[in-house]
Amino acid sequence: MTTLNRRSLLGGGAALLAAPAIAPNALGQPKYPARPMQLLCPWAAGGGTDAVARIVAALLEKELGQPVNVVNRTGGSGVVGHAAIAQSPPDGYTLGIITSEICMLHWQGLTEVTYRNFTPLGLMNNDPPGIQVNVASPYKDAKQLAEAIKASTPGKMKASGTGQGGIWHLALAGWLGAMGLKADHVRWVPSNGAAPAMQDLAAGGLDFTTCSVPEARAMLDAGRCRSLAVMAPKRLDTFPNIPTLQEAMGIDFTTGAMRVIVGPAGLPEAVKAAIEPALGRIYQSKDYQDFLAARGFGGVYADAAGAGKALAEADASLGEAMKAAGLAKA
Amino acid sequence: MMDFLEAVRLVAAPDVLIAIFASAVYGLVVGSLPGLSATMATALLVPVTFWLSPIAAVATIITASAMAIFSGDIPGCLLRIPGTPASAAYTDEAYALTRKGQAELALGAGLWFSAIGGIVGTLSLVLMAPLLAEMALSFSTFEYFWLAFLGLMCATLVARSSPIKAIASMLLGLLVSCIGMENPAGTPRFTFGIPDLLGGIEPIPALVGVFAVSEVMRAMVTPEPPPLPRRKFGSILANQWMLTKKYQWPMWRGNVIGIIIGVLPGAGADMAAWVSYAMSKRFSKEPEKFGTGHPEGLVEAGASNNASLASGWVPSLLFGIPGDTITAIAIGVLYMKGLNPGPTLFTERASSMYALYLIFILANIIMIPLGIVMIRLAASVLRAPRAAVMPVIMLLCAVGAFATGSNLFSVLLVGVFGCLGFVMERNGYPVAALVLGIVMGTMVEQNFITSLIKSDGDILPFFERPVSGVLAAMTFGALLWPLGIWIWNRMQRRRMAAGDATG
Amino acid sequence: MHLSDRVTGGVLMVLGAAAAIAGSRLPAVPGQEVGPAAFPLLIGSGLVLCGALIAFGIGRSFEVPEEEEAPPGPSSSPWRPGGPRALVPPALLLFYVLAADRLGFLLTGAVMVFVAALALGARPRLAVPMAIVAPLLVHLAFYKLLRVPLPEGLLAAPW
Repeated sequence: MTTLNRRSLLGGGAALLAAPAIAPNALGQPKYPARPMQLLCPWAAGGGTDAVARIVAALLEKELGQPVNVVNRTGGSGVVGHAAIAQSPPDGYTLGIITSEICMLHWQGLTEVTYRNFTPLGLMNNDPPGIQVNVASPYKDAKQLAEAIKASTPGKMKASGTGQGGIWHLALAGWLGAMGLKADHVRWVPSNGAAPAMQDLAAGGLDFTTCSVPEARAMLDAGRCRSLAVMAPKRLDTFPNIPTLQEAMGIDFTTGAMRVIVGPAGLPEAVKAAIEPALGRIYQSKDYQDFLAARGFGGVYADAAGAGKALAEADASLGEAMKAAGLAKA
Repeated sequence: MMDFLEAVRLVAAPDVLIAIFASAVYGLVVGSLPGLSATMATALLVPVTFWLSPIAAVATIITASAMAIFSGDIPGCLLRIPGTPASAAYTDEAYALTRKGQAELALGAGLWFSAIGGIVGTLSLVLMAPLLAEMALSFSTFEYFWLAFLGLMCATLVARSSPIKAIASMLLGLLVSCIGMENPAGTPRFTFGIPDLLGGIEPIPALVGVFAVSEVMRAMVTPEPPPLPRRKFGSILANQWMLTKKYQWPMWRGNVIGIIIGVLPGAGADMAAWVSYAMSKRFSKEPEKFGTGHPEGLVEAGASNNASLASGWVPSLLFGIPGDTITAIAIGVLYMKGLNPGPTLFTERASSMYALYLIFILANIIMIPLGIVMIRLAASVLRAPRAAVMPVIMLLCAVGAFATGSNLFSVLLVGVFGCLGFVMERNGYPVAALVLGIVMGTMVEQNFITSLIKSDGDILPFFERPVSGVLAAMTFGALLWPLGIWIWNRMQRRRMAAGDATG
Repeated sequence: MHLSDRVTGGVLMVLGAAAAIAGSRLPAVPGQEVGPAAFPLLIGSGLVLCGALIAFGIGRSFEVPEEEEAPPGPSSSPWRPGGPRALVPPALLLFYVLAADRLGFLLTGAVMVFVAALALGARPRLAVPMAIVAPLLVHLAFYKLLRVPLPEGLLAAPW
């Protein structure tokens, strides 16, 4: 704790310059937070995770009265940034946003870091995958598509949505597994993200995509493709016309891409006590809800304990899907 | 008409005008710093747009990106250090003009034709958006493969040195792009167990290394070049009208190529500049002047990369598919501001669309006065002693590389690429071709491999589809053309030699 | 570092061969026929071919005859004694990587600018003020304007 105090005092000096109104706290009993904070984002500026990080940071700044800077620590398909969050000093001044990839990278043997290396603080959003087909596709609903898949020879049908072994690839593998098919019954065409996959779907190069519905949104609006089902427990608020997989074909398979605000493992209770309820209030705030609605992002919230549970479940289920698809390292 | 008036009112709002002006200055500065790309300039604006009105938010992105693409020409021209990858294709040309004492001509051409390209690109957006979008949507991975291949071939056309060495440099760039796990198979390749290499090598550190750092290295071992003749920096726009008339045809070709390449998602301003510069050289009446300080290529490529910027918005606005990395960021902002991309944007929110067009035009118009100020300020580095300029450049390289991902590893990469670029340059290997390889590598592999996956390993679909067939024919034509010329020349020379011997 | 075409061509051949061999050993991806090996194999073979053409001088005949291989600008100027001086910039970048977090941006930057300026033949009268002013200006632009988290280290910026 001595280091924490020294740091707080040093930082208090900086805060004194930056925001005189808050400085007295730093001089007496150091109240958290006493100086500007960082929120590390393992993905590049401009993407969806970055957008969530930036709105949360902006609202956290309002809640805590200290600047919260988003730092994009990119590289290594998320490996570098996730590791940087896990290895940062657990003093509450470096937090991070982690994504479902943290439950996948270690199964592929790409990093030692798992969700256990973090202190979860709040699950801020979860985007479930949908099943999209070209508007000219003969399959009118998920059931017809599933029948066609079952009837086809393995590898004949092609799907895409992200890179090899990415979250939407696993969604496909999981869906096929739930139908009793092998993970590679439909051939995965790796793409550089959801947008090129949607473009190829519209150009007639693919049978279907399993990216998230918001990622397909503009093409849906443009009438170039149709979404047959969403792999979520309930329908999405922004897309109430798309049935869940359960409704469409009676298969109970759900997954999604999560975004969780975390600190490194061993975060002091005082920090947790300050951030966790703040995140809860942020989630409820009009600003954040407007943001989710505008981007079409799936609104799911869980507190620290709930986020930890969700991460553990995702880690187990994604690990299973990866083993089934032959993507996990033995 | 009502919509149009409404749009004028939207754009004339003070907050929008201030946003345009501020982001113009910001874009000019960021674009001219080596190591900070136009993409970076826009990405850093995103948090600012949270607090702006929808039109002002989009205005900042449009303006900043247009300015950054132009001002990337400035350090390229003055110091032979391109500010953005889109300027790398013609950096040597612009620098040669500076050495000839015509910096104002080179920079003026960059400015003037960037503005023209931007405006023509915008007009294409206004007049033909649905048509262009339809074209973009007919491109599947097969077509993209040929397109990327054609882009790569520009390396050999642009190079002044041995074409074989240009190809070797380009292949080296492709090999560099293999590093990491961002490949279709998602398998780590050539990472040597270094986690930082898993994400591959970004074009920016490589660009900064091979151009900027190697330039500083060269400065270390060569004596200070004779100072440029001290004279008044001439008028920047004086000769541009003359150039416009003289090179009218290349200018229009640059605009058209820029529009076409910009509309295709995934191929952006970088590729437009390369293809246009190569085209310009190929069809020029005086190709031998290229590389020695000849403005023709600058006219065409300068127009092209800014034209592509505007047309890159077509697929983004209609389908939410980003035309390049800049519009990828812009799409996020559009959604956030309730301007959801889609055809309805053009019908139901027509006034917002008109406002967008107006901002494009406005941005390209104020680019001229602001650009002139920027050029005049920047030109002072020509008068500063080298020992004062180069250390600062190096510091900017380090910070610029760090800024892309807050990762010190990129700084290390910059150093490594500096050494590589230095050695390559000394031995006649064009470094620009290396950068082209790195920029295009992912696109080539991605589309090649996924096409093979989709066709179950069959080569036929690469030629079967109508558009891909045409592109394939163009590729082979361009490939065999120099070979044909070479054989022809050889035969001519032999015949002449034979004639000499008998005569 | 002017090397003969034989050497650079040879290096390219070795590099290409290494890439092709290492690439071909990459494991196939389950469920895919075309794996990660295809592209490196292709590029590697291409490099071997180009390297061979360069090393054996075949490529030269493709060159435009009258053109001398002289890159434009200062690089064609004669060498000054002290070739290793070229390694100063990469060495300083390495120094930045190692020292930035500990010393902080301002001190590291000052050292870099000072050493680079001296190496370029500047008098201390120019080098010292530059080493003080340049890092401060860069810090101001990047830290305040672009919000790049530059390390503080021993000496924090006054803002």
